[in-house]
Amino acid sequence: MNTQNIIDTQNLTKIYRRFQKKEGLRGSLQGLIKREYEEKTAVNSVSLSVKAGEFVGLIGPNGAGKTTLIKMLTGIIAPTSGSIEVLGYYPNDMKNAFKKKYAVVMGQKSQLFMELTMNDTLRLFKEIYEIPEAEYQASREYFAQLFGVEALMNVQVRTLSLGERMKMELIVALLHGPQVLFLDEPTIGLDAVASKQIRKFLKEINEERGTTILLTSHYMEDIRALCGRTVVVNHGSKIYDGGTEELFEKYQKNKKITATFDRPPYRREVEVPKEHIKDALHELMQYEPKDITVAEDEIGVVVERIYREEERQNA
Amino acid sequence: MRKYREIAKTYLKTQLAWRADVIFNMVFTVGRILFAFLLWRVIFAQKETVAGFTFHGMLSYYIISSFFTQLEMSHGISEEIAAEIRNGIFSKYIVIPVNVEGYFAAMELGVVLFYLFFDFAAAFIWIFLFGIEFAIIEDGLIIACALVMVLLGLFFMVQLNFFLGILTFKYEEISTFLMIKNNLAALVTGSIVPLALFPDTVVSFMRFLPFYYVTYLPSMLLTGRCADEAARGLAVLACWCVILQAAIGIAWRRYAKNYDGVGI
Repeated sequence: MNTQNIIDTQNLTKIYRRFQKKEGLRGSLQGLIKREYEEKTAVNSVSLSVKAGEFVGLIGPNGAGKTTLIKMLTGIIAPTSGSIEVLGYYPNDMKNAFKKKYAVVMGQKSQLFMELTMNDTLRLFKEIYEIPEAEYQASREYFAQLFGVEALMNVQVRTLSLGERMKMELIVALLHGPQVLFLDEPTIGLDAVASKQIRKFLKEINEERGTTILLTSHYMEDIRALCGRTVVVNHGSKIYDGGTEELFEKYQKNKKITATFDRPPYRREVEVPKEHIKDALHELMQYEPKDITVAEDEIGVVVERIYREEERQNA
Repeated sequence: MRKYREIAKTYLKTQLAWRADVIFNMVFTVGRILFAFLLWRVIFAQKETVAGFTFHGMLSYYIISSFFTQLEMSHGISEEIAAEIRNGIFSKYIVIPVNVEGYFAAMELGVVLFYLFFDFAAAFIWIFLFGIEFAIIEDGLIIACALVMVLLGLFFMVQLNFFLGILTFKYEEISTFLMIKNNLAALVTGSIVPLALFPDTVVSFMRFLPFYYVTYLPSMLLTGRCADEAARGLAVLACWCVILQAAIGIAWRRYAKNYDGVGI
């Protein structure tokens, strides 16, 4: 293993075993006597290296294996085969010394106590991570100020908005100064303003504190704004690993223009090659639209394009 | 140790978050006392003693026994662990630097401390409001034995429920195990059929099981009965704690690797 890398995996594979039941009552009775299982390869022979201080995006459609990969890197689940080393540890050994060096935030799962205030929750995590009092006070103030939540530290967490809760999740995760931060869909469900704020904070934490960040997201804006490098996975396999700008330059070929009008047809959507966007907008302006939005290709489209190209090359 | 103290404090604070819960808990505790008092008064109106207990002796036993029984709330641990493993939420304990069993034990302590206050208040209301001649043993050694036995017993129940909870890693569904545990505990403590109705050999066998010593024997000891069983009770319970701790270690090492963290 390369000692410069803080994350190193070689041919990492995870196979889940699932019980399969035939339809109906008869199938249920048969299942009592003889069980049939199917195996599903969630992550297939993924080799990945991440250097200290990198901000890496991990993208792919639903069920591609992103979250399974994060769960193996954090020790939540054990790999079926392959080697894995994070910060010099085998994650699934679940050593406390390892757990003190990383943090994980899963967008849909919370470490917060809804009935308590943020200050109470942070006090608990201060003790769990054995953070000295002075260091704790300094970190708490720094993050409360950075995230602009000083006024919310003494209110019940359940009364906070989704965006505010995500900021609090990030403060809990960052309180002990982790070397690596794993983020699984941190902006899921957030509005544009809250997402933008979260992105700004993550960028600052990566740049100011040198925290290595591995981010999964369905939103292209997250990846493009934050990650210098992107890893694309599909059907459990890694199909792209390289610069984010290169990825977008090479595989994001179209732009979707949505225009609204005061008169029929009221709304129109067109997809044009990105090199023709200027001409398309110019032409559209002649019809005096009320509003225009331009969106990038969705992640699924980009992944599909990479996948097809890989297949073509292999053939 | 400080982290587990803070976990206990945190869960104590969560119990105090809801004022209506606090008020209703007080009302229900006092209501239960009143009901038991009226019931036993009717029974003792017809005879002087029941199973060797006088009216005040029986009420003393009831106060102590219900006090301990109310503190034993660890059944929630196995149910919570099973649900969290099945829903993939158990990851939140795996990723933080704590001993997960210690986390649940500290959590239980926090919740118990909250109810301890109300149970004490309830016991005082019993004794003073109803003028009960509280019959508690005066032998310091027996009192100490009974208190240690209760602490060991409560810890044993936390261990047992934690053990049953983590079996979800292997079996996914543990309600059968929980049903067996609940029925066995009820049988051995005499809640289903009075122990006096069983043959001596069966009762002797039951005394090797831990449940007999969790609340039943400490209550009997504090009301001046079964003193000859105190030392054996402590030894049996301590042995069960050691056995169960070993079983937890084995089950965790073998089965935690089966965790899939589904749904996240």
